[in-house]
Amino acid sequence: MTPGKKRLSYSYYPGCSLHASGREYDISTRALFKALNVGLKEVPDWFCCGATPAHNVDELLSLSLCAKNLSLAEEVEGDLAVACAACFSRLKTTQHHLKEDDTKRKQVEVAIDGPAALNKPVKHILEILAREYGLAKLEESVKKPLMGLKVAPYYGCLLTRPPGVPELDDCEDPSIMEDVLRALGAEPVKWSHRMECCGANFTLSRPGVVLKLSNAILESARIAGADCIMVACPLCHGNLDIRQKEIKEAFGAPDSTLFGNIFGSELHGGSAPDQRDLPIFYVTQLAALAMGVASESLGFESVITDPKPLLRDKQLL
Amino acid sequence: MSRIGVFVCHCGENISRTVDVEQVAKAAGEIPGVAFSCDYKYMCSDPGQTLLKKAVAEHKLDGVLVAACSPRMHEKTFRKAAEAAGLNPYLCEMANIREHCSWVHEDRDMATAKAKDIVKLMVERVRKGKSLAPITVPVTKRALVIGGGIAGIQAALDIADAGHKVVLVEREPSIGGHMAQLSETFPTLDCSQCIMTPKMVDVANHPNITLFTYSEIEKVDGYIGNFQVTVKHKARSVDESKCTGCGICMTKCPKKKIPNEFDQGHGMRPAIYVPFPQAVPNTPVIDRENCTMFQSGKCGVCAKVCGPGAVDYEQQDTFTVEDVGAIVVATGFKLYTIDRKPEGSPIQGYGEFGYGTIPDIIDGMTFERLASASGPTGGKILRPSDGKEPKQVVFIQCVGSRAREKGISYCSKVCCMYTAKHTMLYHHKVHDGQAYVFFMDARTPGKGYDEFWRRAVEEEEAVYIRGMVSRMYQRGDKIVVMGSDIQVGVQVEIEADLVVLATAVQPQDGADLLAQKLGISYDKYNFYSEAHAKLKPVECATAGIYLAGACQGPKDIPDTVSQASAAAAKVMTLFAKDKLERDPVVAKVNEKYCVGCFACKKVCAYGAIEEKEIRDRQGNLVKKVAYVNPGVCGGCGTCQATCPSKSIELDGYTDEQIMAMIEAL
Repeated sequence: MTPGKKRLSYSYYPGCSLHASGREYDISTRALFKALNVGLKEVPDWFCCGATPAHNVDELLSLSLCAKNLSLAEEVEGDLAVACAACFSRLKTTQHHLKEDDTKRKQVEVAIDGPAALNKPVKHILEILAREYGLAKLEESVKKPLMGLKVAPYYGCLLTRPPGVPELDDCEDPSIMEDVLRALGAEPVKWSHRMECCGANFTLSRPGVVLKLSNAILESARIAGADCIMVACPLCHGNLDIRQKEIKEAFGAPDSTLFGNIFGSELHGGSAPDQRDLPIFYVTQLAALAMGVASESLGFESVITDPKPLLRDKQLL
Repeated sequence: MSRIGVFVCHCGENISRTVDVEQVAKAAGEIPGVAFSCDYKYMCSDPGQTLLKKAVAEHKLDGVLVAACSPRMHEKTFRKAAEAAGLNPYLCEMANIREHCSWVHEDRDMATAKAKDIVKLMVERVRKGKSLAPITVPVTKRALVIGGGIAGIQAALDIADAGHKVVLVEREPSIGGHMAQLSETFPTLDCSQCIMTPKMVDVANHPNITLFTYSEIEKVDGYIGNFQVTVKHKARSVDESKCTGCGICMTKCPKKKIPNEFDQGHGMRPAIYVPFPQAVPNTPVIDRENCTMFQSGKCGVCAKVCGPGAVDYEQQDTFTVEDVGAIVVATGFKLYTIDRKPEGSPIQGYGEFGYGTIPDIIDGMTFERLASASGPTGGKILRPSDGKEPKQVVFIQCVGSRAREKGISYCSKVCCMYTAKHTMLYHHKVHDGQAYVFFMDARTPGKGYDEFWRRAVEEEEAVYIRGMVSRMYQRGDKIVVMGSDIQVGVQVEIEADLVVLATAVQPQDGADLLAQKLGISYDKYNFYSEAHAKLKPVECATAGIYLAGACQGPKDIPDTVSQASAAAAKVMTLFAKDKLERDPVVAKVNEKYCVGCFACKKVCAYGAIEEKEIRDRQGNLVKKVAYVNPGVCGGCGTCQATCPSKSIELDGYTDEQIMAMIEAL
């Protein structure tokens, strides 16, 4: 931190996943912010953003849950930092809808018994790293550059979409993950499936769909020559990491009918993709690693596809 | 006491829906000095105008107020009617209770009250109004046409054939525009060059047309009937009067590998070049940025081989001033080429399509060049990356168009038809190939258009998939096109050898700057605005300037040619008179009070204010005062608001009138 300049400091909404299946995202976010000397204070008494189920069932409920969380966040100084792509999407969507629709805003304000904090800036971790902390400073702060690590940056569905809502980057052709990876010294690969859906919540109701979609993502990352995939969403992480073994068993050799392929011919002619394990990292895990945070405190032990062999191989452990 | 008549119009239901017109008429009748008031369903109709004329005679009216639409719509109509009834037309005014009231309000009571107020204050303006006489100005019967594509060529030929002189200015080294680039044209599939090039030759040979290519508009002064236009003639580095067009300079030029703009960068040209063999004029230009002589001073081959000695490296840009009475703007379009969002642009890119990074994803105009007999492949459909014949071609419509979230919400109008044409051209040339088209809708209104599209689908075996493409990426030597088929409800992947994007039609670069020089308006996309969407589709709001072709909005060739001929007809109508009458709403200076500070001169947007010397009988200078050239004055009133001594006033908008209006409220 440059002397004299005010220390960056944020309020923090971890969201449910980060206290459960995605706890390594939470741990690494806190470790990273500490290493960067950026303040991070958890919003007291926060609760679920409603995620996908709430807005599928009851719009007023889903907006009210987020509005209440936002008004709780108002009590903590600093812009609201969010790590989970779904929480980020729901909070931004709520602000967007309520700003545009006065009637809904009034309904929500009755429901939460107070004003909706529509102007509390909500920032994704990526945005904080790339724009507020700044790429140049991020690069300067790197202690252990992720040299030689080929990373497939995976945005998924929610981080940049729909147009005009998250305002994180170009909606269909973003570059913020690549920018951050380059600053960390890693090599972002150019690949085809960085914006495709992993299957998301269908992991519970129709796992077959997830196996298919996530397989396409893993496979194209392997074709592009990636060593690993970087995500910013605990659900994407779950699908790509936890189900990786199952996907291999289900599909084995590359398949040419991944999608409802009604007109195309052979999809995967030529290259013969391998069956390499692809560790799935959170952006904060990689960033913290590059900042010299000890790997033991980044939650690597709690993932299924073990990243340690890869990290050892690249001399990053 | 004045005797004013107030006529309140229903405008069908446009006004009466939200304004109680009867009440407005009744309230108007109670204003002192109003001798007559009534309401009527359509004041602008013949019976409505007759009603006005009769009332003027019967009630001996000395002023008329029509409470109806905007004066831009019907002021002329009602002033003509008033004049026919024996009134000075400038004693007829309009109160706008449609655009300013009924169209923008919902509450009937409040809208009615507002309409009454508008009428009340406009009555005061009529009361304080003065009889005015129109100003006559001479007309220079010579037209300027800006842009030498099919629109400009058609307009220039029509005006010239009517016997008037025309100056045609084209930015590129040759006229011809985009139409010269096309292969075959819908819906008849006739060869574009075969119908275009004879017209280009006609332009070059026409005794009434002066053609300036490689030239641009530098400055526009004056007003309808009397424009002075400064034209910049860019240095060609070849003397047009000496060059015979033999072409030896081009064959001997050692620098031959410059991407040819005419072939969308897919063919090569030398540094001294004509854009295409049928160029008019057939005089080359030197592309100074790519010429070895200009870059390093060492070469000079073209000058050495030129028999007539036409090559002139020292040539400079020159300027001429052209006096013209009317201007036709026909600057055409460009195709959207953004692959990523450019800095500062509200329009998003299509990075997800790999456009600009995958060589075999091309735009529609590039496909035209590939399909053209004069193109870089001699009319064979060969893909840019490896020159192989593509067996699966995917065409994608509405790339950029109708995509609000990308910043362009309009339909580009021509893409449905030209994509159908592309599938046919492809089918004719590659018999074992398959064309796929992703489309949102097939929009084919036009004579023979739907039949043409049906033919592409039913006879020429193009597979149309209703849905859009989300992403494309290279896999091996194929392009994987990921899209959706919303009729079947499935996601679709196609492995294509070549992808053709029907990208949006946009105005030419610099269209806004030219509009600012001309003083014409343009929309948020930089398309030029016509004076009225339905009734004045070729006129600009600025008198004496007319529009033709795609600079006004996306258009196909038949529409462009029609509009160009319409613009030419408007020019001929203007030229049919020797003198032109124009509205006397101009500023006048009270020389007694004017102190000659010339604050008015500084703010005048039209350059209408001159300095006038007042001398005594001995010829000694007493003072300098402002003088308004009535021919140039635009009647905006800025000088009136600026003048510190209140000695400049706009006829029809005098301080007395404005004060009376304010007091009436």
